[in-house]
Amino acid sequence: MSQQNDALKAALQELDKRYNKTIGVASSNLCTRCGWCVDQCHYYLATKDPSISPVAKAERIRRVYKRHHDWMSRIFPFWTGARELTEAELDEWVEIAFRNCTLCDRCMANCPLAVDTAQILGAARGVLLAAGKAPEMLVQLADAALAREENLDFFKEFFLEQLKDLEVEIQDRLGDDKASIPVEVEGAKFLYVPLSGAHTITPPATVFNAVGESWTISMFEAANYATYIGDTAKAKKITQRILTEAERLHVEEIILPECGHAYAAMRWEAPKWFGGPLPFRVRSILEVLDEYVREGRLSLNPANNPEPVTLHDSCNLGRKGGLFEEPRRVVRAAAEDFREMTPNRERAFCCGAGSGLVAMPEWEDMRLKAGGPKADQVRATGASVVIASCDNCRHQFTELDEHYDLNVKVMGLTELVVQAMVPAA
Amino acid sequence: MDAEKFLHFAEFDLQIIALSVFAILYAIKAWTIARLPMTWENAPAKGSPGAGVAASYAATVVPWMMSSSTQHWTRWLEFGLYHIGAGLAILSTFTLPFTPDLMTKPVRIVFAIFVALALVVGAIRLRRRFADPTLRIISTPDDYFSLAAVEVFFFLTFMTLVVDTDGWRLAYFLVTAAFLFYVPFSKISHYVYWFFARVLMGVRYGRRGVEPRSGGTR
Repeated sequence: MSQQNDALKAALQELDKRYNKTIGVASSNLCTRCGWCVDQCHYYLATKDPSISPVAKAERIRRVYKRHHDWMSRIFPFWTGARELTEAELDEWVEIAFRNCTLCDRCMANCPLAVDTAQILGAARGVLLAAGKAPEMLVQLADAALAREENLDFFKEFFLEQLKDLEVEIQDRLGDDKASIPVEVEGAKFLYVPLSGAHTITPPATVFNAVGESWTISMFEAANYATYIGDTAKAKKITQRILTEAERLHVEEIILPECGHAYAAMRWEAPKWFGGPLPFRVRSILEVLDEYVREGRLSLNPANNPEPVTLHDSCNLGRKGGLFEEPRRVVRAAAEDFREMTPNRERAFCCGAGSGLVAMPEWEDMRLKAGGPKADQVRATGASVVIASCDNCRHQFTELDEHYDLNVKVMGLTELVVQAMVPAA
Repeated sequence: MDAEKFLHFAEFDLQIIALSVFAILYAIKAWTIARLPMTWENAPAKGSPGAGVAASYAATVVPWMMSSSTQHWTRWLEFGLYHIGAGLAILSTFTLPFTPDLMTKPVRIVFAIFVALALVVGAIRLRRRFADPTLRIISTPDDYFSLAAVEVFFFLTFMTLVVDTDGWRLAYFLVTAAFLFYVPFSKISHYVYWFFARVLMGVRYGRRGVEPRSGGTR
């Protein structure tokens, strides 16, 4: 009983702590419940369940905020549907905030009143974390990133061994036995921060070697799962590891891999956590590839990629990150037959796996269902290759391919570029 | 108080009292929001926050800027007509008592047409809120009452513009005053927050280079 009270108390404190301008406006009488957002949400389109439309999800959280802050709701809660936060309500919030919303922002972009539903549900995630109700898997993944820093020597030895194997692949691909994956290079221009998995190391390393870039690889991973659970303190620590490394190596720029949330977190959110711009320029590998293409530093032969290719706009890179044209210029240079998905750019739908959902096996059914509208859009292009520049999206598309029998190959943009690279003479 | 004096009171004194209360309550609302903490975007900008805010406001009224408008253009038209009617009905509460010379017959007819259209749209909206299960599960008593109250306001505005007898005029100004007292407590006050919400969204999307929108395929 006491534990329950503690959880509720912590939740209420967190609810209050998060009541800033954005939440204050979004949880006010701003939403008129007009329903315009309903069919703009991939969850609703996939399930036709009105209880998981954006407005219905946001209302559950909003009505608790209203109970505490709205004049009418304080006096006549029944009139506005306002409700007190209870343990049972919190338990229901877990599915609302973590399972039934990927915080993709599409509802806000299509709301005549600009109600920021993703912020409201993001706040709910933070409240659930404070109450000890955030999904354990996401909490553990965030902790794992910090554990790597604490046991760096152990990881480093293992990591360096892996890099040696990858170097051989790159040397073979480029026909250049001097090609390398530089480590701990002081004064390098770029610090490239990969994800776990060779697919985020080998292709960029191949490109960097091909253009003769000055770079060094990070000992850490760019993934920041703490952002998914609304744990700003931990998210800041995870980012700080990379900043410290970049400072120690005196690099000019931090380059992030093909990862949506890592980009949104470090490029746009981290400066808020640290109280000002970071001491390094932060870019996505997509921007670097675009620069190489525009400056003619990469010789690409689109004939190497003759299959029809389509591009998925990851929510974190696109609607939350502003990277729309950069990947398109690269795809056009690297593939013969580029086909836009409809809708695209800021209008694109989420793949259904965002905001940590891909890491939650118990919610796989819903994730695949919510990916249904995206699968239909891929099929409509007739493409046989889907470019997904976000690791979570990539994983989701690979599963959507199997689940919906799309018969497509899913790859990152850098891999497409490597395939298009004209072999050395 | 005789009927004439009471009408005068309702048209002038009561309106001023109601408007003053309304303005004070809105000022408190705006002040409450303005003093809440906020960490603004502070990463090096990719785009312009000013352009983002302009685009954000424009998205409300330009039908091709949001998929939700382009996919449901009739609903967007309803939205436009409803708010034009609301704007003219509100304007009438000032022009009828304070600048009667402006309210010539042609002006009254134009106002009345738009208010009548808004009245029809309001009825459609009210019906939809009762009939559509998606809207029903999210609706509160305030949603139904506010819509119905606006319908009464539109109807009395229309009758005052068209018929303009003392009886309609008195009913119109009494309802207007009651409305002014109620609005700050209801969802009808959404437009106050809309100004803030559009700025918050515009600054974020503008700085990040998301707005102005590149016009992705619908």
